[in-house]
Amino acid sequence: MPRQQRRHTGPAAQGDDAESSHFDHAALFEFSKVINSSLELDFILSHILLTIMGKILSTRGLVALRRDGNSYGVETVKGFPSALRGTQWTIRSLPAGSFAVSSLDGKKHPWVRSLQDEGVTIVLPLVIAERTIGFLGFGERLARKKLHAREITYLRSLANISATAIEKSQMIGELQRVNRNLDRRVQELGTLSELGREFSALLDPEKLVRLLVFSLLGQIGVRRYVICVKNGPDMNVVASKIDGPPPQGELLSLLARIKGPTFTKDLVVRGPVDPRPVLDSLTLSVLVPIELKGEARGLLLLGDKLSREQFSEGDLEFVASLGNLAIISLENARLFKEAIEKQKLEDELLIAREIQKGLLPSVIPEIPGFQISATNVSSKQVGGDYYDVLRTSDGRHIIAIGDVSGKGSPAALLMANLQATIRALVPLGLSLGELTGRVNDLMCENTGGDKFVTFFWGAINHRDMTLTYVNAGHNYPYVIHDDGTSGRLEKGGMILGVMKTPVAYEEGVISLRGGDMLVLFTDGVSEAMNAQQQEYGEERLERVLHRVHGEDAPSVVRAIHDDVALHTSGAPQSDDITMMVVKIR
Amino acid sequence: MSDFKIASREQENVNVLALKGYLDAHTAPKLEEAFQNLIASQHFKIVVNCKDLSYISSAGLGVFMAFIEDVRQNMGDIKLTNMSPKVYNVFDLLGFPLLYEIFKEENEAINRFFDKPK
Repeated sequence: MPRQQRRHTGPAAQGDDAESSHFDHAALFEFSKVINSSLELDFILSHILLTIMGKILSTRGLVALRRDGNSYGVETVKGFPSALRGTQWTIRSLPAGSFAVSSLDGKKHPWVRSLQDEGVTIVLPLVIAERTIGFLGFGERLARKKLHAREITYLRSLANISATAIEKSQMIGELQRVNRNLDRRVQELGTLSELGREFSALLDPEKLVRLLVFSLLGQIGVRRYVICVKNGPDMNVVASKIDGPPPQGELLSLLARIKGPTFTKDLVVRGPVDPRPVLDSLTLSVLVPIELKGEARGLLLLGDKLSREQFSEGDLEFVASLGNLAIISLENARLFKEAIEKQKLEDELLIAREIQKGLLPSVIPEIPGFQISATNVSSKQVGGDYYDVLRTSDGRHIIAIGDVSGKGSPAALLMANLQATIRALVPLGLSLGELTGRVNDLMCENTGGDKFVTFFWGAINHRDMTLTYVNAGHNYPYVIHDDGTSGRLEKGGMILGVMKTPVAYEEGVISLRGGDMLVLFTDGVSEAMNAQQQEYGEERLERVLHRVHGEDAPSVVRAIHDDVALHTSGAPQSDDITMMVVKIR
Repeated sequence: MSDFKIASREQENVNVLALKGYLDAHTAPKLEEAFQNLIASQHFKIVVNCKDLSYISSAGLGVFMAFIEDVRQNMGDIKLTNMSPKVYNVFDLLGFPLLYEIFKEENEAINRFFDKPK
């Protein structure tokens, strides 16, 4: 049928018709094959333009594609100035079929005017199933001839084939973009999960921060960064790479309070301090605060990317996730370290308690005519209290009580040292005063002068009923007589372990009678605290002693113990409570 | 422990690091150490051969980023070669081909250090 129409139309040589038509079909087929062989939009558009420009003998062509709505943008140009690329027109409805631009009213339609100004004379809309996806525009034909109807038909065929190929390529391009974004998200998730694994296995905060830096560098490609972690009340910079000193103190705390990732340029300044000049001078353009349980725990400041690209929303989300992961792991590492240290401390205290228990006499030797009762209640921290009862080779008995400064195993070890020294020196048969001097000298050598011991000891001679004693800085023991009068055992000298004995220790001697009672105690008794931080006090101790002095030794010990407990009434025991009561029958 | 090895050699004043195995968060410190050693001994012309590199994560890529500026400031470079498509895909996703020269073969990268400046 087209052949029929053509017969009537032009003066073209009738004999060429069949051949020309055959040529047209072959060329269309070839054209379709070429533009469908590639998915590259640039190649396709370029080939379309060149083919049609060759066909209609025009030196200039352009392709404009529909962006969104009624907006059409120039995608490719040939022969037109390259500045035309990217030009956009709003075209509410493009006339169907091909048309000459000169046939439209430039006054009514700004886009027509614009096309006319650029020298576009022929427009070929690109239509698929009544959807216009763009148009082709061409400059004046070289021969300035009008297009034949047959040529127009042919051009419209080319345009149809082109439209399909362009849309296919656009869809593939879009798919590739989506796919690539998806790939990138998968990769980001992979990174997060890998780091989650790795972070949780790392307990060394330094390594953890290093890994965080590598991941930021690798995933986002930042050149400059500052990583801050909250430690106590302060934000501390734990890693940075910037041109200049990193921001400090108040400024960091201020920035860490910002909610959510923010660009420096979008910061809203509320207080008197404007952080933007500092951040700008360090080219830190992105802030990512990190919260844990609603509390600011860290802050990442990021600078330019090596690629000079802008940060995307996805980048910020990723950095925030990464930062959260790192902060949680840092927090875990810190808690773990604390738990370990607490455990270590408890182990140490357990050892100290074992040492202490091992040092106290399990059985107190019997002294004819005497009754001895003693107790040691160690505190949680384990103070260095000690008591002992020994028999000497000449038949006397030594009673001793001491309190080592400090707590825990150092105190327990020094106590063990004291016990060993006493037990080694007592058999020498020296006077108690001389022995005390020797003990002090040895303790000085062992402590290096930074620890000391308050110490009281006495030798009971049950034959002549005397007590010879030396008090080296210890709480004065009580002697309560049967008639209710009392005294304190004060004679001696300075505490043990501070300096070599300068003056000999003085010995005190008292005689003992039936019904007398000696009460030795440590400051854990007299200074036992109640919840109001009030000490038990010696006055209260004396009142108990006078009340119970007629009773036997274990009863007196129990009475003191119960009265102290009444005073503290459940407040935590801060020091060892140790006492020894010697009752003369 | 992930399997990752670095074989280092010197060829015509260019240091070649041949990577093998998995370069991830766990093994990244090894590569960091290798770069640190090269830089400490003033070697700035570095080719990293990825022929036997089976996997790289962003922590691994981060190591390259951590040193590239230092190296370039000292008239050197880190060039990458012989990547498998899988490894290249990660580099590509994160935009590394814009930042690093990547070659098919190690020799091309080495020779590139001796090209006359354009």
